[in-house]
Amino acid sequence: MKELNPLLHSQLRLAIMSILMNVAEADFVYLKEKTESTAGNLSVQLDKLSSAGYISVEKGMSGRRPRTACSITPEGRMAFEEYVEALRTYLNL
Amino acid sequence: MEERKLTEKESLEVITSMIARTKVRYLGNGKILSMWGYLVVFVALLVWILLASTRQNVWNWLWFAIPVVGFPVTMIMARQEHHEKGAVTYSDRITSRLWTIFGISEIVLTLVCLGFAIFGDVNCWAAMLVYSIVLAPATEIAQGLIINEKSLIVGGAVGLAVGLVTLCCVVGGIPLVAVWYMPLFILAFVSMMIVPGHILTYKAKKQ
Repeated sequence: MKELNPLLHSQLRLAIMSILMNVAEADFVYLKEKTESTAGNLSVQLDKLSSAGYISVEKGMSGRRPRTACSITPEGRMAFEEYVEALRTYLNL
Repeated sequence: MEERKLTEKESLEVITSMIARTKVRYLGNGKILSMWGYLVVFVALLVWILLASTRQNVWNWLWFAIPVVGFPVTMIMARQEHHEKGAVTYSDRITSRLWTIFGISEIVLTLVCLGFAIFGDVNCWAAMLVYSIVLAPATEIAQGLIINEKSLIVGGAVGLAVGLVTLCCVVGGIPLVAVWYMPLFILAFVSMMIVPGHILTYKAKKQ
């Protein structure tokens, strides 16, 4: 049986990836609200996903406010699809 | 939500829960659409009144107030809307690109018409009118189909009907007399921008 990707097999990182699979782009505040996580924890997990090349993180300004926009990369999309496929085999779906 | 390992079943629950949380049908805010509708109607009324009362064609230059005011205000409103929403859906991206194509082609056509007028002394501003009143409703219908919003489809269809009448009149050499054409033009923009704009804003607030 194919092993589940350890980078995705954690609650918050999987939640982030699931959201980003569904929208073209999401900002930090939106992700924090939807995942009900703390800013510090979310920031750490975003860095891990970004380092793996699964998401791209763009820091900029929206008016006078700082804005962090996240979107999934083609590698991230592929990893997520493989993860879901592996999950299906584990759960016999 | 914490950072912890999951069982396979919990993984599936996280995925379905996140999909459900983001699966809101984002209609977008209709304020930008309403703003364009009010702007066009206001300028049309102003030009109509001034032309009727002074009989001087110079007032037609006021039509330029539409892009001069509309484009910067749209950019400000779009940025604010984007900030409020926090996420860009794929349908947002497609509709935004459709309207961008329309906007850019309008600017290019304005420059072409201006070039014809300045360098060739040729009046082809009717092309601008026809292009706007055919392509804007067509873009709106496309947006309505993408986000599955009836008010945009119906409003766009009314606008497109007026656009096709305009096209036939221009090609057939029938003069667009202000007395009957201006009310038709205003009706088109009320139907395709002001009414759907308010409906979208109302639905967005309810969401």
